[in-house]
Amino acid sequence: MIRFLANRLIAALPVLFIVSLLTFVLIYFVPGDVSAELAGPGASAADIARIRSVYGLDSPFHERLLGWYAALAQGDLGQSVLLRRSVTEAILERLPVTLSLTALALVLAIAVGVATGILAAMRVNTWVDQATMTVALAGLSLPDFWLGLVMIYLFAVQLGWLPTGGYVPLTENPVGWLRSMAMPALALALTQIGLLARMTRASMLDVLRQDFMRTARAKGLPNRVVIFKHALANVMIPVITVIGLSVGILLGGAIVIEQVFSIPGVGRLIIGGILRRDFPVIQGGLLLTATVFVLVNLAVDILYAVVDPRVRYDR
Amino acid sequence: MITRRRFHAAVAGAGAAATVVGAPAIAQKKGGEAIVAQQSPPPSLDAQTTSAQHARNITTHIWETLYARDEAGNVVPDLAEGVNISPDGMTYSFKLRKAKFHNGKDMTSADVRASMERYKKVGNSSAVLRDVVAFEAPSPDTFVMKLSKPVPSLLDGISSPRAPFAIMPEEQGGKEANKIDYIGTGPFQFAEYRPDSHVLLRRFDGYVANTAYKERDGFAGRKTAHLDSVRIRFMPEAGARAAALEAGEIHVNELIPTPAAQRLKANRNIRIHEMMPWAFQVIIMNHSQGPMQNLKFRQAIQAVLDYEEIIAIANDGLYRMTHGWQHPGGTYFAGDIGKELYNQKNVAKAKQLLAESGYRGEEIVFLGDSTIANHKGVTEVGTEQLRRLLGINVRAHIVDWPTASSMRLKPEGWHLWALGMGIEPYEGPFNVAGFFAKPQMQTHVEDPILEEAFGRLQSSPQLADRQKAMADLQRRMYDNVTAIKLGDFGIIQGARANVENFKPYRAPRMWDVWLA
Repeated sequence: MIRFLANRLIAALPVLFIVSLLTFVLIYFVPGDVSAELAGPGASAADIARIRSVYGLDSPFHERLLGWYAALAQGDLGQSVLLRRSVTEAILERLPVTLSLTALALVLAIAVGVATGILAAMRVNTWVDQATMTVALAGLSLPDFWLGLVMIYLFAVQLGWLPTGGYVPLTENPVGWLRSMAMPALALALTQIGLLARMTRASMLDVLRQDFMRTARAKGLPNRVVIFKHALANVMIPVITVIGLSVGILLGGAIVIEQVFSIPGVGRLIIGGILRRDFPVIQGGLLLTATVFVLVNLAVDILYAVVDPRVRYDR
Repeated sequence: MITRRRFHAAVAGAGAAATVVGAPAIAQKKGGEAIVAQQSPPPSLDAQTTSAQHARNITTHIWETLYARDEAGNVVPDLAEGVNISPDGMTYSFKLRKAKFHNGKDMTSADVRASMERYKKVGNSSAVLRDVVAFEAPSPDTFVMKLSKPVPSLLDGISSPRAPFAIMPEEQGGKEANKIDYIGTGPFQFAEYRPDSHVLLRRFDGYVANTAYKERDGFAGRKTAHLDSVRIRFMPEAGARAAALEAGEIHVNELIPTPAAQRLKANRNIRIHEMMPWAFQVIIMNHSQGPMQNLKFRQAIQAVLDYEEIIAIANDGLYRMTHGWQHPGGTYFAGDIGKELYNQKNVAKAKQLLAESGYRGEEIVFLGDSTIANHKGVTEVGTEQLRRLLGINVRAHIVDWPTASSMRLKPEGWHLWALGMGIEPYEGPFNVAGFFAKPQMQTHVEDPILEEAFGRLQSSPQLADRQKAMADLQRRMYDNVTAIKLGDFGIIQGARANVENFKPYRAPRMWDVWLA
């Protein structure tokens, strides 16, 4: 297993290198830089040139590229012009926000999605199946930003139960944190709940038709044991794959949700960086996102071995 | 020519309460925290280095300037008691009033000198100080600027809130752009900045108010901080900002879309404030490319467009039709000059001009950005009109703001550019005219007639001569189709009903405001 992990991590390095290079090149050739944000619309070309010079944005491509990799080799993602701090510091400030939002949404998606899928499969072709799958399809179809705005209007403006947005750190006030995270996490999770419910239902129906399930029932095992011990273990392989994909989708979705709910997370950092051409922030943020994707894929592979005894990585 | 806006009638019906907020009928109350929501975080909190509105909203609470603008935009003293200008117009001697920095230190001329020297190096509008050859501090309460030639616009320049000529402690003077400590003399002091979340300002109890005034007056006047703190939250989503105001989570919303304002005006807990005019809506003309080099082609565009349709759609009906390149009622307003060429909607004339121009179907790129809604609206509607009414081969090229802002600096790649000019007309004539003269020269082609008039505007010692220069500039801008001014548009702000004495201005001022 250790060798497998080492190989996978080494194999990830070229991926991260290509991501970082592509990011750098694309950003370099996109028109505009942070000087436009600082100078304002009335600025002349001379004003822009002066600001570019102050912040070293007028250096040649190769100098900036080499500088970026030289710093990266030392674990330095650069300095944000606009945030007055290192990109690493900016990301570390926001990472707990985005990860906790994604984690909460993932827990919700797995708990509700898998349970709903199992329920629908066990009550296949009944009104329960029809109703849950219709709701799941609706959840899958509705855009999360729209859901977010509807939730704000309903739960914050009309009912006054939850805040319209903002973020309360968990360490400062756990109840405040949960209140600030409830709507964003739910808005983010709904799409994945629909996806997981439909996936779990399909996998469960497939497994329930297998011979070993018939054998288990013929042995007189209680339905609970048949479902949760024998069926679920087999259902989990494809479901884990979907969960792995969901983490990526949730991280991507968090970018939009953070905008809607004014949450200072990594997504908003990257969007702000793009809109204001804060190059080090974009480069660092995208590199971090790529790293998270690589690690999530690795975690999914490890989970396969945990839930399926047939999967071994040490041979 | 001023027409009533559709929105104005609706707001008027919402009740007079919104328009008499300035009258402090209720006793002033100290304490509490007011939360102001704005769309974006500031690009920098170093007031001298950025002209961004979202920075100005915050920095004008922290820093003050020698001269500032009053409620009507006139130049008035703030940290200076006054100025003595030598007969040759080349020496400005400022007498300083008493003021205290947030670090407890009294302000002296040494601080002012260091601040101005820093501005000349890193300031966003450092061109204002281009002809200043020396900054001197002959006594603690006297600051002197010596110029190489008379610059009648100097006080206009240093009093502008565009990128404020903020006075900071001497020890900050040597610091690079964006690397200062946020210490000013303003009624609120910097407490905390959480990027993408908020900036927190606390009342500065040591604030020394300007006793030359009786009350708040623009960015100047006698300022009093009643609130314990002001929290400026960054909320990018307009719907979420409106909802937060409705739910009472924020006290002031700096920008409410017109449709949301229509809904909120019925809410008794919210006061809707319309600020008209906020900015000019303009189409910048690039004179350097293809058919745009031909005056008759530009005149054809000027003649055919339905300005009112464009500005109305782009701004959800919150606009007024004015032709002047200065606001009506201002010192430099040039009367009816150019009015006959404004909003002509004359298709026949335009077709004739187009034929005379020899236009052969070359592609015209109408540059706009999707970051600012009215820019996008002008680009889309303008493109459609030019295609439909005149058959011009126009392509709307809508990108994000940094891209558009970068593209327009080069002469190639665009012909028309949609823009809102907000702070320039507020500042007066110098930056409006300067926007089209060298070195900014948005047209990318030097116009000797415009340059000559701009030179007179900048250098004439007599006001009447400068007014004449501005009138000549306006004439030239219409005759040469330097740019098309579609009209003025407004913005809508909202405040909770318990926010007393709030009055919209170029930034949401939270001094002299209290919570009932």
